[in-house]
Amino acid sequence: MSQITSALRIGDRWDHAPKAVRWVALLLLVAFAYYLPYLNILPFAYVRTDLTSSGSDWASVLFLVVVYMIVAVGLNVVIGLAGLLDLGYVGFYALGAYSIALFGSPSSPVTQLIADRFGLSEGWAVPFAFCIPIAILMALVAGVILGAPTLRLRGDYLAIVTLGFGEIIRITARNVDGVTGGAAGITNVPTPPGPEIDGRAFFNTIDAERWYWLALTILILIIFLARRLENSRVGRAWLAIREDEDAAAVMGVAGFKFKLWAFAIGASLGGLAGLLFGSKQQYVEPNAFMVQLSFLFVAMVVIGGSGNIVGALLGAFLLTYLPERFREFVDWRPFAFGVAMVAVMVLRPQGLVPSRRRAREFEDRKQEAEEAAADV
Amino acid sequence: MDFDALISGLDRHTLDGITRGSIYALVALGYTMVYGVMKLINFAHSEVFMVGTWAVLGTYTAIGATAGMGVGMVIAATLLALLAAMLASAGTALAVERIAYRPLRKKGAPPLIFLITGIGCSIVLVETFGQVLRVIFGPPFGRVTVNIPSVLETTTLFEIGGLNITNTRLLIIVGAIAMMFALDTFVNKSRLGRGVRAVAQDPDTASLMGVNQERVIMLVFVLGGAMAGVAALLYSIQYDITKFDIGFFIGLKAFTAAVLGGIGNLRGALVGGLFLGIAEVYASIIWSSEWTNVTAFVVLVIILMFRPTGLLGESLGKARA
Amino acid sequence: MIRSSKTWQAVAFTAVAGLALSACGTTDTDGGGGSAGGDDCNFKIGVMGALSGANASIVLPSVDGADLALRQWDNDECEVELVKFDTEGDPAKATPVATQIAGDESFIGVIGGAFSGETRATKSIYNDAGVTMVSQSATATDLTQEDQVEVFHRLVPYDDYQGAAIAKYLTDEVGATKVFVVDNSEAYGEPLADRVEETLGDKMVQRDKTEVGQTDFAPTISKMESAQPDAIMYGGYIAEAAPLLKQIRDAGIDAPFVGGDGLYGADFGNAVGEAGEGAVVMCPCAPIEDDSTFAADFEEEFGSAPGAYAAEGYDAMSVFLAALDDGARDRASVEEFVDGYTGEGLSKEVAFDENGDVPQENVSYWAYKNEGGTLVPEVEVAP
Repeated sequence: MSQITSALRIGDRWDHAPKAVRWVALLLLVAFAYYLPYLNILPFAYVRTDLTSSGSDWASVLFLVVVYMIVAVGLNVVIGLAGLLDLGYVGFYALGAYSIALFGSPSSPVTQLIADRFGLSEGWAVPFAFCIPIAILMALVAGVILGAPTLRLRGDYLAIVTLGFGEIIRITARNVDGVTGGAAGITNVPTPPGPEIDGRAFFNTIDAERWYWLALTILILIIFLARRLENSRVGRAWLAIREDEDAAAVMGVAGFKFKLWAFAIGASLGGLAGLLFGSKQQYVEPNAFMVQLSFLFVAMVVIGGSGNIVGALLGAFLLTYLPERFREFVDWRPFAFGVAMVAVMVLRPQGLVPSRRRAREFEDRKQEAEEAAADV
Repeated sequence: MDFDALISGLDRHTLDGITRGSIYALVALGYTMVYGVMKLINFAHSEVFMVGTWAVLGTYTAIGATAGMGVGMVIAATLLALLAAMLASAGTALAVERIAYRPLRKKGAPPLIFLITGIGCSIVLVETFGQVLRVIFGPPFGRVTVNIPSVLETTTLFEIGGLNITNTRLLIIVGAIAMMFALDTFVNKSRLGRGVRAVAQDPDTASLMGVNQERVIMLVFVLGGAMAGVAALLYSIQYDITKFDIGFFIGLKAFTAAVLGGIGNLRGALVGGLFLGIAEVYASIIWSSEWTNVTAFVVLVIILMFRPTGLLGESLGKARA
Repeated sequence: MIRSSKTWQAVAFTAVAGLALSACGTTDTDGGGGSAGGDDCNFKIGVMGALSGANASIVLPSVDGADLALRQWDNDECEVELVKFDTEGDPAKATPVATQIAGDESFIGVIGGAFSGETRATKSIYNDAGVTMVSQSATATDLTQEDQVEVFHRLVPYDDYQGAAIAKYLTDEVGATKVFVVDNSEAYGEPLADRVEETLGDKMVQRDKTEVGQTDFAPTISKMESAQPDAIMYGGYIAEAAPLLKQIRDAGIDAPFVGGDGLYGADFGNAVGEAGEGAVVMCPCAPIEDDSTFAADFEEEFGSAPGAYAAEGYDAMSVFLAALDDGARDRASVEEFVDGYTGEGLSKEVAFDENGDVPQENVSYWAYKNEGGTLVPEVEVAP
């Protein structure tokens, strides 16, 4: 209880702080985020993941954290805002990664086919910049194709259908060797263009902090857009649908249309995250998109506090960062992960940083549950 | 695409599908019972099944059962293993309910939270066998595949129209269907079963009528767990292995089967399981097994498009005797 | 709320001050310290692979093997540490590890990647940083045949040659004319089975694909029943091979069962049980000679018999240690030494051709038969 109210109090203070202060604080936070890869002053440096000799590269971990944050923001639109349980989000993520691999890599069967057909020179591929809209579009179209027939289903049915969708994408990518390169995957996935420094491309395999900055910039842009969306007419419609779909329909909110919107927007963000991942990795293979990753994504949103962007970001951060930070515990990590998942949810069912509206709803329901228990 | 192979051996493939589907159906019962009463997908149920297979292995090891024993010993060992698996699975299911679900119910948490604790429990159980028990006891626990001795050796009992009916196959199909009918009768005829149906239909009214909701929920987990235990024994007899993560795939399929038949509906679980098993085997014959899972999910989507609540429709409460 | 705005000002001021200060005083925490330089010979060698997760049992023995080689190394001048990196076999988890190793100059080499996927994902990182890789078990053909990188070497022959060896065993030793080939549709099993199919030609009667995680093989069995094979080849891992074998034998099919090196390991016998009696596993690993103390030493150190690729792990480490013995003190000279290395290893006569592969004539293929739960060397096969 006290935790919830203290979280609310910080939120309230934030809201009541003068605008200038909020801007300065935000700018500082952003500046700090960009500075993170170089964070090297003790004691703060203990957050780094490369302190022990068997650690992993700090900037690479930060990059992965930010990519999963983009995923969490996208999935938060679907789960947190529109209230649709999507267990196949990894499918969109995979589509994004595969789009850039299929169209951008000179060694993918698709580009080779196009090059052959149109007599283009060997090694031809779609430039990186054009791969971005392709990836987003493919994920978006997939979102609509999946959503259109299934969004009429009730919550739990939607869960299993989306889960199946994620698996269909992965297995198809694995089996259709002639198009996707099959189980061996696709190498030579392109990286964003940039000036050459020290004889290496700007976005190379060694200087991971540049990747991190790129992803962070995209993330900030997305957070900005997502916040606008949340407070728009569409955002309010989602809220209405989530709370009571029938009542919303009576009030003239077309449930299906807005759900499809949520699905499509969420899907395109997943695709974008997948594109970043595939490009950094420079290698895409189907087993990177197992269904367990979908569960992890959902866990990020829910543990952080669904419906709240800050919560989703925190969830993505913790679930990605902690296992990397504590690498020295090697194969005890999954066990600890499971225990923590249960413990956190049982102790704080509303999530670590719930949205204020959700927290209030939650208090109501808890009281109802207690009253109901007292009645019996 | 080999439709000829499918047509020419249709009886054989159907039988294979029923065998595969029987195990799906038994595990699906656990999902469906819990869903019917609590409107909740119990994600840890796949691991409830996994624990059952370890109980079978444990029993065989404890009594020193191996292949090639006398008939009496085989029956005794199998029954003992059945009992152990049912107890272990039911106990695990109950523990999951107690630790991960009951505190949330008390707080009135939304369904999504139950999903996450369920996944969390599933990870904990998998890691218990893959890591914790390995560190404490060493092999056979760990992340490798372990053989379960074929105490009940496969022999052909009789032939029907050129089909060899083996003892294991017969046991799986008959065992699964018998368990299913026993459970169905229990829920529809007994006093406790009436309580289950009442809570499924309307929890508030049921508690007004003096049904103890907590006890009904515990009962549902115990019954679902016991059915997973039966499935675990049949699985061990058919496939001879266990592993810390075998629950995942079976659980995924069983859950699909439950939804396919109409989640919350006991007979739906049977129909869904068998339907899914047969569809998978047919698909594996026409193409190959690499497309099995895609087929399973495509079938699911198509069925749900035309029958949004599954083949038999949902609701444990409305299922009439 | 006026008071509150003051708090905010204070917070903002502290934050600015903090950031400004941080720009001045930095502490060196990079890569856990230990920068190597000058004449002092103080190095690290990384080993990267699935140390946890479902496939760890294929990787851990080779890590122990490398560890053993290091413990037995006798050199007063140098201090070498073997640093283990767990990737769970997942390429996404392997890239941060590779970047870490690449960025820490005290790493002069890396043993791995253990699997082909993670190797594919990381070899360009190591190449950019000039870190020499010696893989103990990554067998995908394309690793050395396409997109070659300077730094990659491996001690195992690639899938193409393995497939040819398995096919040869099937035709020459088993005398099979109707082989049924099954694979697991994964990056390991599929190309191997492809190559077996190619080499067998019309001696293959049918091909079927299965999935990882599958336990019910009834459709495959019924295809076998109608194909009436006189041998069965499986490209895949132990977890699926065990139930597959059991169902094959249950169906009364007693054709010989031959698998690739994905089945090679101490746990094969434990997993397949009775049904696996007489099953054959092909591996490009020669049996460890009786007069070698390796098996005994290994057992003494780690409490179990050397498992899959333990000898290769030992050899990989030995190559790096020989480089240090030779006076190599940085990445470039290690790479140069390894490229030209020849020496008698535990698993084979070690040398690397221009692609980083061990020359064909140095590799021996062995068929191991499962007898009473242990893999016993049966016969050597020259592809």
